[in-house]
Amino acid sequence: MKPARFAYTAPDTVEGTLDALDRFGDEAKVLSGGQSLVPMMNFRLARPEVIVDIGRVSGLDGMSVSNGTLTVGARVVHSRLEAPTVSTPDGRSESLGGVLGSLLPVVARFVGHLPIRVRGTFGGSIAHADPAAEWCILARTLDAEMVALRQGGERTIPAADFFETVFTTALAAEELLVAVRLPILGEDWRAGFCEFSRRAGDFAVVAAMTAVRLEPATGAIAEARIGVGGVAGVPVRLPAAEAMLVGETPGAGLHAAAAEAAAGEVDPVGDLHGSAAYRRDLVRAMVARSLAQGAGASG
Amino acid sequence: MGWVGRSIRRVEDPTLLCGAGMFVGDIGGAAAVRFVRSPVASGRIRAVRGPAYTIADLDADGVGNIEAVLHRPDYVRLAQPLLARERVRYVGEPVAVVVGATAAEAEDLAEQVELDIESLPAAVGLEAALDPDAPLVHPDEAESNVMVAGEMATPELAGALERAHVIVELEILSGRQAALPLEARGSHAVTERFGGRTTLHASIQAPHMIRTVICDLLGMPEADLRVVAPDVGGAFGQKLPLAREDAVVVWLSRRLGRPVAWIEDRSENLMASWHSREQRYRLRAGFNAAAHLEALEADVVANVGAWPCYPITWGVEPLMALAELPGPYTLEHYGVRSRGVASHTCPMSPYRGVSRPVITLALERLMDIAAARLGVDPVEIRRRNLQSDFPHISPTGLRHDEGTYREAMELAVSHVDMGAFRARQDAARAAGGPQPGIGICTFSERTGYGTPAFAARAMGVTPGFENVELSMDPSGYVTLRIGASPHGQGLETALSQIVADEVGTDPGRVRVVASDTDRTPYGWGSFASRAMVLAGGATYLAAQKLATQLGSLAAEVLEAAADDIVLADGRATVAGTSVGVDIAELARIAHHHTQRLPTGTMPGLSEQAGYDPAGTFSNACHVAEVDVDPDTGGVSMRRFVVVEDAGRLINPMIADGQIRGGVAQGIANALLEEVVYDEDGNILTTSLMDYLPPTIAEIPNIEILHLETASDATITGAKGLGEGGTIGAPAAVLNAVNDALAHLGVELNEMPATPERVRAAVRAAACGDSPGDTDRSTQEAAVR
Ligand SMILES: Cc1cc2nc3c(=O)[nH]c(=O)nc-3n(C[C@H](O)[C@H](O)[C@H](O)COP(=O)(O)OP(=O)(O)OC[C@H]3O[C@@H](n4cnc5c(N)ncnc54)[C@H](O)[C@@H]3O)c2cc1C
Repeated sequence: MKPARFAYTAPDTVEGTLDALDRFGDEAKVLSGGQSLVPMMNFRLARPEVIVDIGRVSGLDGMSVSNGTLTVGARVVHSRLEAPTVSTPDGRSESLGGVLGSLLPVVARFVGHLPIRVRGTFGGSIAHADPAAEWCILARTLDAEMVALRQGGERTIPAADFFETVFTTALAAEELLVAVRLPILGEDWRAGFCEFSRRAGDFAVVAAMTAVRLEPATGAIAEARIGVGGVAGVPVRLPAAEAMLVGETPGAGLHAAAAEAAAGEVDPVGDLHGSAAYRRDLVRAMVARSLAQGAGASG
Repeated sequence: MGWVGRSIRRVEDPTLLCGAGMFVGDIGGAAAVRFVRSPVASGRIRAVRGPAYTIADLDADGVGNIEAVLHRPDYVRLAQPLLARERVRYVGEPVAVVVGATAAEAEDLAEQVELDIESLPAAVGLEAALDPDAPLVHPDEAESNVMVAGEMATPELAGALERAHVIVELEILSGRQAALPLEARGSHAVTERFGGRTTLHASIQAPHMIRTVICDLLGMPEADLRVVAPDVGGAFGQKLPLAREDAVVVWLSRRLGRPVAWIEDRSENLMASWHSREQRYRLRAGFNAAAHLEALEADVVANVGAWPCYPITWGVEPLMALAELPGPYTLEHYGVRSRGVASHTCPMSPYRGVSRPVITLALERLMDIAAARLGVDPVEIRRRNLQSDFPHISPTGLRHDEGTYREAMELAVSHVDMGAFRARQDAARAAGGPQPGIGICTFSERTGYGTPAFAARAMGVTPGFENVELSMDPSGYVTLRIGASPHGQGLETALSQIVADEVGTDPGRVRVVASDTDRTPYGWGSFASRAMVLAGGATYLAAQKLATQLGSLAAEVLEAAADDIVLADGRATVAGTSVGVDIAELARIAHHHTQRLPTGTMPGLSEQAGYDPAGTFSNACHVAEVDVDPDTGGVSMRRFVVVEDAGRLINPMIADGQIRGGVAQGIANALLEEVVYDEDGNILTTSLMDYLPPTIAEIPNIEILHLETASDATITGAKGLGEGGTIGAPAAVLNAVNDALAHLGVELNEMPATPERVRAAVRAAACGDSPGDTDRSTQEAAVR
C-alpha cells in the first residue's frame, strides 16, 4: 500500500499548472484534495509519473452568484458546502439562500466523513467521476456546466457530455477543471436528495436527486428532473419518469407512480454492494422519498 | 475499602491516548519485507522468477514444516510449509518473499517477481467444498475435503424426538468474518552480530508459545530467541496462531544478518490473515407441549479454509460447536455431527467467541421460532428452558457452575419495558415506514479454562496454566511479571488492584511486566476470556504469599505475632493498635539489613505462583432494539441492553469496556461484516470500502447492568467476559430484525443480515415464498 515512484510539482498559479499539464500530458495527474487519488495510488490502481499538486494555486476556491448561476471553484472543499457562502461583487460574503442554498448542505453531509469533507474538493469529486458521488449526481440532475482551461483555451462542457463512464470524463489530460456552474433554482423549484448507504459516510449504494418546477398559478409540475447514481457507469437522468410528473400535481400517488417508473427505467449492474434487483428497489424507494422531501420543503 | 471492585483509571491509557504507544511499526531501523502472494485460489507452481526467496531457500536451510495436531481419529494431519510448496491453495497464500530498503521499494521488488502458476479448479464456498465431486484442497493427504469430524448422541435422542409435541427445523448460516484488528499483523527481527541471539518483536497474543514453535521450525534453542509483543493494536484471536510470515521474518534476519520488518497492510490482512465463522447449522429440535426443549439434533459444517492454524488446529470451530451447542438450556437429549471442511480460501483462526456467536444465533433463533409456533412469549419460553439448578452437567459433560440465566433475563426485560415497546411497535405497524423490533438473547460464555479443558481437546500442545512472579523492591514498589500477554484489555490495571489489596499498597506502586519472553515466566497468553481468571488467580496467590512474607517480617520488627499484622495503606500495623511500620521500610530491611531477618529467611521479597482451574461459565442476556426499513432492508440500531454476570468484578469500568467493544463487533457481525469470495476464489473484500466495520454512527449507546455471582470455580470469584459481547449480540440483533418484520411473515436466519438479504426476505414473504433463497430458508416443520 505504498504508491509507485512519482515526481511531484506544486505550481503557484493556474498558468503554471496548465504549463505542467501541457508538458507532461498523459503522464501527469492533478492532485487536489487527494481523497480519491491518494488511495488509488496507494493501491497502485493509479500510477501517475508526475503529480501536479494544485493545493497552492490561488483563485480556485471562490463561490459567487451571477445571472441565476452559482459558480463553485474547483478547490472549494466539501465542508464549505455544508453552509455555503458566496462573495458579493463588493467583496462581502453572504450565505447562499434559495432552493439550491438549502439543498447543498443536505447533499454535502452525505459526502464521506468530516475529515474527508475538509480536504476533498468539489472539483476533485466532479473530475474523479464516481457514478455514486453526490456532486456528480447533482451536477447531472441540474445540467451543470464544467469550466475547463488548457494552455491557450477555455471551454465549457455540459454535464450530459462530461461524464463518460466510471472514473472517466471529457476532460483532456492537458485540461484543468477550474469551476462548475449550477443554476440556483428559483423559488418555484422544489428539490430533494436521498441516498442509501451501508454505513454513515459511505458512498451511496443508490442515491437520487429530484427537482421539479411548479406552475405558480396551478401548482402543477412544469418541469421535472430525476437523477440517479449507483445504477450505471455515470449518474443518469430518467426521462420517462420525469415525463410522468410533468403536468401533474405533486402528491403521494404521483410520487409512487414516478418512483415505480424510475425503478423500471434503470438498468443496473449488480456488484458486491447490491444486485441489479436490489438496486432497482432502492431506486424506487429513493426517488419516492426524494420527491416527498421536495414536496415537504415546499411548505 | 479495597481496590478490587473499583473503577480506577487504566494505567495503560495515558501512553496510548497520547500517541506514545510502541507498536511493531514504530520500531523502525529495518529493511522492509514483502510477501508475494498467490493471485489464484488453486494452482500448481511451475516457477518463481525474480529477486525473491522461496520455499527452496527455506528447505535448503533445513527449516521445518508447521504441524498443527489433534490426537483424534477423524483428523487429517498435514505438514504446512512456511511458503507455498508446489501448490497454492488460496488467494493470498505467501509464495515468495522479497526484502527492500523501504516498504515502497519492497513493493516494487514484489511486482518484479513473476509467479508462473498453472490454475486448477477451486472449491470455494462451504457447499462447493462439501460436494462429493469438489476439487480437493489436499489431494495427496485426504480423499475428501472433510478434515476433521466429530459425532455424538445421547442414548434416548431418537425416542425423544419421536415423542416431541412440536418439531422445529431450522437452518442457520453465518458469513465469513475477519477479526479486523486496528493494527494489522507485523513482525520485526534483529539478530545480534556476536552471539547470534535474535529478538523478534511481533504483534501477537502468546509470545512464549510463538517462541517455542518458531524455534522448533528453525531448529534453534529457545534461549537464543527473545520474543516481545510490544503494544498490540487489537488481536481478537487473529494474533493467537503462528503467522507463517513471523517465522519467515526470523529466518530472514538470521540469514541476512540485518534487521528486517514485515508490516502487514490492510489488504493483506483482509485477504491473507485469518478468517473465521463461515458455518452452517441444521437443527432439528423437539419441544414438549409445555414448550420445553427436550431433544436437539444438529448437523454443523464449518468451512475451515486451506490450512489449519497452529496450535489450535482447524478443529477449533467445528468441535467447539459440537461440545457447546446445548448452551444455557436444560436440554437432555442431544445428538450432533460436526465437520470442518477445507476449501481454497484463507485459513481460519479463532475470533472472539469462536463458534459461540453462531451457536447462540442458532439456539436463540430456535427459541424464538419455537415460541411463535407454540404460541408462547419469547421471554416465557426461555424462562421454561434456562438452567437454574447448579452445577448443571450438559449432555456433552460440561459442568456449568452457578449462574443467573433467568435472573439476568428478567432484569433485562424489566429494564427495557417491553410493554412500552410493544405499544410503539403497534403504532408503527399501523403507520407504515420503519418498523421497530426487539430481540432477546440469553447465553453462557465458557471462560477461564486451564489445562483440563485444553487436554480434552487432545491438541499437539496443551495450553492451560498461567504463572506469575511477584517481587517487592527496596523502595516498596511491586513488580509483577506475568506469562499472559495483555494487549489493551486493561489487565495490568486490574492485576495491580488485586496486588494492592493483598499487600496493603496502592495500585500506583505496582508495575506489571508482560509480553516479553526474557522478562516473564512461561505462560500461554491472552485469549479465550482467560487472562483475568488465570493470571488474576496466580497473581492473587502470589500476592498472598508476599503478604505472608511481609507479615512475618513486620512481626519480627514490631515484636508482635504474625497473625496480628494487618497490611493496609502502605503500612504494616499490629491489629487494634497504632503500632506499625511502613511497608517501604520493611522492603529496605528485607534487602539492605538482612541481618535483621530471622535466621534461615531468604533475603529479598519475591514469590511466584501458578493457577490452572477447570473453568467457569459467565452468563448474560442481551436485548436489541432495531428499526428496519422494509423498502431498503436497512437496519438501524436503536438500543442495546446487556445484563452481564461475570462473577466478581475486579474493575467494573474495564469490564464494561470489554462488553461494549464486544457488542460492537457482534453488531458488525450481525449486520455489516462479511468476507466475500467469487466462485473462482477471488476475494472481493480487500479494503474497508468492501469489508464494512461499523462506524460510531452504527453503534447505539450500550446500557450495561451487572449481577455478581461470585464463582466458587475461580479463586478470585471473577469469571471471564472478554468474548461475551460478541457472542450474544448477533442473535439479539437477528431476533430483533425478525421481530420487526414478523407481521410481514419474514424469517431471516443468516448473518450478516445485510440490507439486500433483509429486502430479499421482505420480497419473498410478500410473494408468499419461503423466506430468502430456497437453500437458506427455514424448512417448514410438521406440527403433531
Ligand atoms: C473514506 C472515504 C469516503 C468517501 N465517501 C464519499 C462519498 O460518500 N461521496 C463522495 O462523493 N465522495 C466520497 N469520497 C471521495 C471524496 O469526496 C473525494 O474528495 C473526491 O472524490 C475527490 O476530491 P479530491 O479533491 O480529494 O480529489 P483528488 O483525490 O485529489 O483527485 C481525484 C481525481 O480528480 C482529478 N482532479 C482533481 N481536481 C482536478 C481538477 N481541478 N482538474 C482536473 N482534474 C482534477 C485528479 O487528477 C484525480 O484523478 C470519499 C473518500 C474517502 C476516502
